[in-house]
Amino acid sequence: MGSMEASTAPENGTAAAAAAGASTACNGAAASNGGGVERRLRSSAASASWASHLPLEVGTRVMCRWRDQKLHPVKVIERRKSSTSSSPADYEYYVHYTEFNRRLDEWVKLEQLDLETVETDVDEKVEDKATSLKMTRHQKRKIDETHVEQGHEELDAASLREHEEFTKVKNIAKIELGRYEIDTWYFSPFPPEYNDSPKLFFCEFCLNFMKRKEQLQRHMKKCDLKHPPGDEIYRSGTLSMFEVDGKKNKVYGQNLCYLAKLFLDHKTLYYDVDLFLFYVLCECDDRGCHMVGYFSKEKHSEESYNLACILTLPPYQRKGYGKFLIAFSYELSKKEGKVGTPERPLSDLGLLSYRGYWTRVLLEILKKHKSNISIKELSDMTAIKADDILSTLQSLDLIQYRKGQHVICADPKVLDRHLKAAGRGGLEVDVSKLIWTPYKEQG
Amino acid sequence: MNRLSFRPRPLDIHKKLPIVKSARELEDDEPTLALRAAPPVLRHSQPEPAADGEAHPTSSKKNVQEIPTPQYDDVDTYERDYTRTFAQPTSYIRARGARAEIGEFVEYDLDNEDEDWLEDYNNERKNLNPEKLEVLLFKLETLDHKARERAGIITPTFLGPIPVILQLDSAMEALQYLSIRYAVFQAVYNYWKSKRERWQKPILRRLQPPPPVNDTNPYNVFRPREKAYRLHTRRMQRRENSVQSFDKLRVVRRNLEQAKTLMGALIKREERKRETMECEVHLRRIQMRYKHEAHLIDDGIALSGLQQAGSSEDDYADSDDTANEQPYVRSVAFHPRFPDNKLSAVPPLRLKRELKRRPHQNGWLFKRVPEMRDPEEPVMLFTRPIDPDKLKMAGIRPPLDPPIDSGTTAPPFRWQARIGRGGRIIFDRWNPFLQVPVGQETNHRPSLPEG
Repeated sequence: MGSMEASTAPENGTAAAAAAGASTACNGAAASNGGGVERRLRSSAASASWASHLPLEVGTRVMCRWRDQKLHPVKVIERRKSSTSSSPADYEYYVHYTEFNRRLDEWVKLEQLDLETVETDVDEKVEDKATSLKMTRHQKRKIDETHVEQGHEELDAASLREHEEFTKVKNIAKIELGRYEIDTWYFSPFPPEYNDSPKLFFCEFCLNFMKRKEQLQRHMKKCDLKHPPGDEIYRSGTLSMFEVDGKKNKVYGQNLCYLAKLFLDHKTLYYDVDLFLFYVLCECDDRGCHMVGYFSKEKHSEESYNLACILTLPPYQRKGYGKFLIAFSYELSKKEGKVGTPERPLSDLGLLSYRGYWTRVLLEILKKHKSNISIKELSDMTAIKADDILSTLQSLDLIQYRKGQHVICADPKVLDRHLKAAGRGGLEVDVSKLIWTPYKEQG
Repeated sequence: MNRLSFRPRPLDIHKKLPIVKSARELEDDEPTLALRAAPPVLRHSQPEPAADGEAHPTSSKKNVQEIPTPQYDDVDTYERDYTRTFAQPTSYIRARGARAEIGEFVEYDLDNEDEDWLEDYNNERKNLNPEKLEVLLFKLETLDHKARERAGIITPTFLGPIPVILQLDSAMEALQYLSIRYAVFQAVYNYWKSKRERWQKPILRRLQPPPPVNDTNPYNVFRPREKAYRLHTRRMQRRENSVQSFDKLRVVRRNLEQAKTLMGALIKREERKRETMECEVHLRRIQMRYKHEAHLIDDGIALSGLQQAGSSEDDYADSDDTANEQPYVRSVAFHPRFPDNKLSAVPPLRLKRELKRRPHQNGWLFKRVPEMRDPEEPVMLFTRPIDPDKLKMAGIRPPLDPPIDSGTTAPPFRWQARIGRGGRIIFDRWNPFLQVPVGQETNHRPSLPEG
């Protein structure tokens, strides 16, 4: 799956939003802003009587007032009659801010829209063409999917469109989880009886979800779980890592997937959680071990993936947890004695975060290493796959070809420059505090 | 010169690459080729955007910080809802198994429908409290599930509406211990049953079967795998029982049997070889003895010598000297270092060395019994007699007579030469009294390391 959300940001070691759909938004914006301006000029002259456009059609483009109180261009994705109003014209509109990622899509009221700016031309076709152009460069989806949480790995145009179609409207707008009330980012396929809820309440420890606050409070009285239902495999200070087997704790695993999907765009919950291990990162205090992020991993990966999905919950982003999770996944690989790589495709931010990690690790070694070294040796030392090492060094221009052979440039000044650009490391993994043996299938 | 047309060899990841510490080294007269990652191994979920410049790390970083994300807020009642009752143990926490399997945890939580119904039903009175209702609904679900299990109608995936089998009276009986008034119980039972009929599936999520594997509805999740996942090992194929594997096994069996036959034949062959070897050895020994005998007969010693050998064998059995003299009398197969005493048990007709006597005659030939001569018999050089003239020519002389003590004169010793171990020339002195070439205890060995 490899959709990377909210776990890292290059600069301040934080978890910025992974914009899996960012490019879509940006590219769409690039295409449509240019065209949009033109159209707006045309149509605003023509549509003096904007009232006749109500209720707005799906696909309409208009300016909308965002949380920063400024107007931003949006496209109407969906509409529904406002439950509180009796007037037929009183609709609510689900809009997509074309400058931003889909995660900021939301239901807005009519008053937030500036109807003077309505464009009536529905440019679906233009958009589709743009979409299909982008998508044909991808390969076909693999038919034999054996992982849960498949990213839109090598999706073709039709599948991606299909995915975006059924996930286009967020079903749950807000959730309450422990200390925080969090706006969701994406659609998550909760059981149908939950689809009408604007807000869900999650038990912080067992991750059961409920529709009303009182139900959660009643649940908390009987729920005695104070930490994820697995083995604690790492503890350093207040930071703990728990390993949960999807087979042994199926309901917890499913709950975690439902929750994570709210913040990951291209995660799918197609298959069951049996074949996965969940590594849940927690901050511990006298109330319990509170989840701040997690990553999932296949029990047996054919493609030597050492990580499937990774997420830092929004309230805990930009604190170094995401980078900790990446480093931790490689420490597990080292203990297993295998090289590993994250599941593909990575979102563009996912790629950046991993590049940051790879850069830091590899360049630190090159700074200290005296004699020559092979890519394979670097791979054995770090558990990073040779391909990833190569692409990292090549993207930094550190592999040169002179006098008939390849050399690695390790000028300290150059390396320091790259290290600075890669950003700080996140929280460090203290390997001495890791007590873990690789997963073994039982009888 | 157009360097760009020059294509470098592909990079071998096993080959050690030199690390160049100074950038200046790379800027020498020979322009180097900077290798950019041509087709990047990693692909984003979106292709490299050309115009937006997101591919370049630094500008994307700026975008990262500028990308807004949805917001979050604090929950006021948090401190109240979550109690400070967690005591972190000093050792790492171990999992204790899923709650559903151990103990009596009530997995079911009331949903909106249940709460609304309860409010209605209680109607300002306190017929039933929510916790009790929760327990009841949970128990009804599990009892019904067990009943369906016994009836054998549980399906592994969701294939159709799931009926309620549990009857009111059996439920009542099973849940007597909860001490619920009959009327209340009945109301709850009816409510639950009607809800089940509307839902067409269990209301407890754990008991709801997963969607079938071929279900294409994207809103349905957590399908089971098609077949049990097996550890991917080389044995994976053979665990299936199929015609293919049967044939393969048959072939394997045949091969093994052939191997067994081969081994048997091999063993026999080796045994025969050993027997042949032993026969040959025995033969050699006889030959040796026989040759020696022939030689002795020539010299007129023969049987008496043999008998002496028999008696003197014991005398010399323990002598240190014996250990070092090997001559040809010993059979070839034995290791030269074997001490004599071990071999005393060996064929009694074996002659001791002291009986071998080499006259100084020139051209003495080693007499052989013609019919025993085996053209393939290895030539044992050390059994050849020593030619005294050649010795003289080489300047090798017998050792000097030892100094005479107590004034007695002794006749000069007579020596016989032979080739000892390692090609050393050994002079054996004849026994001064017997005037026979006895040499064990009086041997003068010019150079032997062991004593």
